[in-house]
Amino acid sequence: MTTTLEEITALRGLRCRACGALQPADERYICGECLGPIEPEYDLDIFDAETLRVDIERGPASLWRYAPLLPVAPPTSHWPVGWTPLIEAHRLGDALGIERLYLKDDTRNPTLSFKDRPVAVALARALELGLDTIACASTGNLAGAVAAAAARNGLRAFVFVPADIEPEKIASAAAYGATVVRVNGPYDAVNRLCGRLADEYGWGFVNFTLRPYYAEGSKTVLFECAEQLGWTLPHHIVVPVGSGALLTRQATAANQLRATGLVPESHFHIHAAQPAGCAPVSDAVLDNWRPVEPVRRPETLAKSLAIGAPADGDGSVKIVRETRGSAASVSDDEIREAASLLATTEGVLVEPAGGVVVATAKQLASRGVFHAGETVVLYLTGNGYKGGPEETALGPVIAADADAFRLAYEEVLA
Amino acid sequence: MSVTVRLPTPLRSAVGGERTIEVDANDLASLQREIAARYPELGARVLRDGAFGRFVTVFVDGEDARFLEQNADLSTAKVVEILPAMSGG
Ligand SMILES: [Zn+2]
Repeated sequence: MTTTLEEITALRGLRCRACGALQPADERYICGECLGPIEPEYDLDIFDAETLRVDIERGPASLWRYAPLLPVAPPTSHWPVGWTPLIEAHRLGDALGIERLYLKDDTRNPTLSFKDRPVAVALARALELGLDTIACASTGNLAGAVAAAAARNGLRAFVFVPADIEPEKIASAAAYGATVVRVNGPYDAVNRLCGRLADEYGWGFVNFTLRPYYAEGSKTVLFECAEQLGWTLPHHIVVPVGSGALLTRQATAANQLRATGLVPESHFHIHAAQPAGCAPVSDAVLDNWRPVEPVRRPETLAKSLAIGAPADGDGSVKIVRETRGSAASVSDDEIREAASLLATTEGVLVEPAGGVVVATAKQLASRGVFHAGETVVLYLTGNGYKGGPEETALGPVIAADADAFRLAYEEVLA
Repeated sequence: MSVTVRLPTPLRSAVGGERTIEVDANDLASLQREIAARYPELGARVLRDGAFGRFVTVFVDGEDARFLEQNADLSTAKVVEILPAMSGG
């Protein structure tokens, strides 16, 4: 089994993305010089590609198989987060006109969203720091992930959410024993409150005071895609954008996979998917790569992506540009239609954010962005059982009678 | 007109450990100028080319300052908060 990390620590420190200062991995969560975002930096030269590949392949069936490329030691008791299936999607591919289409089905994590990944890494860091309470501001999915991880590790959890998110998400976070605080106003107001509370309480706010560690967990989505494709990068990934942390870390992951020699050089494009009611990143990309302008009042079916002032917004635009990717902003109707198309062609039920990704892929395909023979991976980050677009149109309730069935469902039977 | 500016922990060392500072300002432009003039160490960390930088978020009574004009009236503002950027979801 892999003991690589305990023996070799590749973490050099945390580097500021704004001013470039390298700082030690202590309790700081933003640059001490300029307040810019700081990110773990690794000494990737220490790895031998073949040894690292074998270590990873022998590792646990969870994101901790990539522990050598994460900024924390893996916890002693593994929770099966990550290592989700990469599914070939021929029927959806035919419908969208994409030859080699794959679904990265991250709806199958312990709390049914990809947020279990960043939380796993943030939580490992919280334990290293000896914190007894973790917290977050959330559009819904992060709340459940934090609540469940806290429960499993015997920590206290506070989760702060906009009051209007899906009731299923609020209820499940509460079921794990977290204190769920519903706040009036959009996500950005919840974030502001948490910024203030982080100052007053010494809690580990996963997306704030633990953010440099939290964001690293998202790299593992691409690590897995590459391994599942036989240690090669896909040509295209379509990524939903809320705060932009997921998208930007896919570029980090690609760079680390190449730098360690785990994958060969190849052309790799990152595309941003956002709902029209809150598309600060896609709009900036499509408007000739201008700076991100925050959205004051996000209004969209895809509540999990309703972040008007994304922290990694400009970073996302930069990454899309550097990888020669693109973006789309899709309407609520396109989201519904795409989520339904995915469910009815592939048997995968997603929350509206997944519909945003499928609808974006459809737009990109019709614009001719994907070429013949190129692999396209759609990131499906949240499960439809946590509150799909809306109640599916149902037929009438009938008596337990065959004729009543035939009469009521005449059209479907025809 | 004096405005209360609330600072997060990582910025307090720039103003001698204070949680809040009082700044004479009628609008955002004069707030930025006054910070640069009276609190140069703070200014060096939160201002870029004289305006609040992209890695801090400034709220005026809860409203994101990016939605306000530079000449927006601060005379009735109760508190200005400066926060580092956050991730989310
Ligand atoms: Zn810096």
